[in-house]
Amino acid sequence: MPLVSVPKGRCLSIKKIDGNDEIKRFLNHLGFIEGAAVTVVSESAGNMILKIKESRVGIEKNLVKKIYV
Amino acid sequence: MRVALAGNPNCGKTTLFNALTGSSRYVGNWPGVTVEKIEGRLKSNKNIVITDLPGIYSLTPRSEDETVSRNFLLFEHPDLIINIVDASRLERNFYLTAQLAETGIPMIVAFNMTDIVRKNGDFIDTKELSHRIGAPIIEISALKEEGIPELLNAVETAAEIKPPRPPQYSASIEKAIQKIEASDISFPTAESRRGFAVKILERDREILQSLSVAPKTAAEAEKITAELERESGSDIGALLANERYGFISRILDGCYTKKEKKTTVSDKIDRIVTDRLLSIPIFASIMFLVYFISVTTVGAFLTDWTNDVFFGEWILPAAQSGLESLGTADWLVSLIVDGIIGGVGTVLGFLPQLFVLFLFLSFLEDCGYMARAAFIMHRFFKRFGLSGKSFIPLLISSGCGVPGIMATKTIENEKSRRLTIITTTFIPCGAKLPVIALIGGAVMGGAWWTAPAIYFIGIAAVAVSSIILKKTKPFEGAESPFVMELPDYHWPSPKGILLHVWERCRSFVIKAGTVIFIACAVIWFLSGFGFTEDGFEMTNIEESLLADAGNLIAPIFRPVGFGDWKAAAATVTGLVAKENIVGTLGVLLTKSEATESDVGLWQAVASLFPSKSAAFAFLVFNILCAPCFAAIGAVRRQMNSRTWTLFAVAWQTLLAYAVALMIFQFGNLADGEPFTAASGAAIAVLVGLLYALLRSPRWEEKFFRRRKK
Repeated sequence: MPLVSVPKGRCLSIKKIDGNDEIKRFLNHLGFIEGAAVTVVSESAGNMILKIKESRVGIEKNLVKKIYV
Repeated sequence: MRVALAGNPNCGKTTLFNALTGSSRYVGNWPGVTVEKIEGRLKSNKNIVITDLPGIYSLTPRSEDETVSRNFLLFEHPDLIINIVDASRLERNFYLTAQLAETGIPMIVAFNMTDIVRKNGDFIDTKELSHRIGAPIIEISALKEEGIPELLNAVETAAEIKPPRPPQYSASIEKAIQKIEASDISFPTAESRRGFAVKILERDREILQSLSVAPKTAAEAEKITAELERESGSDIGALLANERYGFISRILDGCYTKKEKKTTVSDKIDRIVTDRLLSIPIFASIMFLVYFISVTTVGAFLTDWTNDVFFGEWILPAAQSGLESLGTADWLVSLIVDGIIGGVGTVLGFLPQLFVLFLFLSFLEDCGYMARAAFIMHRFFKRFGLSGKSFIPLLISSGCGVPGIMATKTIENEKSRRLTIITTTFIPCGAKLPVIALIGGAVMGGAWWTAPAIYFIGIAAVAVSSIILKKTKPFEGAESPFVMELPDYHWPSPKGILLHVWERCRSFVIKAGTVIFIACAVIWFLSGFGFTEDGFEMTNIEESLLADAGNLIAPIFRPVGFGDWKAAAATVTGLVAKENIVGTLGVLLTKSEATESDVGLWQAVASLFPSKSAAFAFLVFNILCAPCFAAIGAVRRQMNSRTWTLFAVAWQTLLAYAVALMIFQFGNLADGEPFTAASGAAIAVLVGLLYALLRSPRWEEKFFRRRKK
């Protein structure tokens, strides 16, 4: 399911990240890769704070939409 | 020997750099504090040059600051890399380590924040890890300066250190790397061959260009990459990232155990401060309190005392009578009392308010809130066509515009970067604070809302400019998506805060003693001499050179409410440094005070303006118009173009004039003044601005298309 619909506090594993561009590569570098565990810390107007590989990353809505768990 | 400090953003590189070289470069708790490479020499061995680099997550840069780091590491062949690793984020930090290991440069890994690791109850077997990656690992705490001697020792004996083992990929990737390595590309060094081959495999076009790879070879490399992607059914970026993270988990296996923690304190704070409904009120309240407290309450109390009692009642009269009793020449007494004490003294009098402001700003920068503010504001900035990333320069500009303009280097999109450079000085900086406090105190009757209102007017000016400019050709286009790491919150150390505050106050005082001092002396001279019937001589202020010059430009400012030549002259001197606005008024009004009855500086300032709205227009104009020369210089460097610099200054000044015109003219109408041509102009400006804000960008497109036909 898309990460957008995941409630706060849930920890799930990433299934797929759409796109093939510079920003997707950047997400890959930060640890957003298939199989990685991601936790939703906070959500504000669709923008999310996610926990990935021990660090906390703020990501805008349009990118959150591309991540599937 | 040349040593590079490399690591993820916000992992403590600059803190370590300061500890190693004894410098005091600015550090803060958000990713992207350091945006340039900085060189320093080791304290204990001056032959070793250390370069502090902006933080990077990988060797694939997205913004200007990251490009600086990448190019230094790949093309300038440092003799040694100190890879700083935030040990509390081992997995993610090792991602860069794995790539640095491919450069073929000897490396020492410094595990920073090991105190946090211990506190969390996590366990790291550094000895085994060091063996597995093939590089020495040294545990340090850059902040507490622990482990520094051991690190220094390792650096001194670096000649014995061999390059670390690069990560091994799966067979198909290894084969692809070998194919590229075997092609006719001329690699800079034998050691860096593998690293460059991986970059080429990753389709790094900049690398292809800088190695001047022949088009035919590049096409062959592209075939290798495409083949690999087809085989694996995944794009090369994801493929390599997967492999690297896989390699890291194999390396960490058995060497690293992390205590499972459900929610940390930082998570709990984030749930509140980034909450959908609460985030904006919290941010607005913080900024309101910062300005309210530093300008109106604590700061104002201290500043009033310094200005009225310390300078006004003690220093000024004492200096005057002291100098007179010594038989000092009249002109020298005037220079010292009116020029130096009147000008520099007035500026210095605002130091207490600045001290309080800097205290708050340093706390905000250190505690970890900055990155959150950027995240929160992204929601709104997206609507203006900017990203939350642009908000960090704005926050820094509330201290000083020059580092604010430099901070735009982290913005990936060039159009957004330009837009942020143009608008970031709308935020009132420390040097503008004395102007706010002076007008707020003297004319607005110390109204509590003045300083916070000016701050929010600054943000509104950023919004309005962005919306208008984003609809024009040079700025239109999509913004890069917002992704930003949010650091852990932590209580700033009192020492760190005081150090920041001290640095800022010190530079304010130094500026007052140099630039402002000279400017005040010049203003004193220009306002004391002039051409009279008897030729050039000392004269009264209204016949001075400055009065002549001021009267020449004053008509420009008449429609916006400060047609008095003194206010006009003060505005112009503000270009040298914004404190000069206060300094110049100090000199001119102390001088005229001497001839009139003693009314005090504040009443004298109030008498310059016909109405409150005029004074407020003066204040807003000076906040929004062209910044000081230092900031204009920074704009020039960042824009790297004279045209863009001129555009920035023109935009700022025109917008400032338009807003000031509206404030003064609408204020007049509200006060029951008759309708004049200038009121008409103000209405026209308002209509124009509204049109520019609301118009559809399509209009222009259609216009151009029609012309083409």
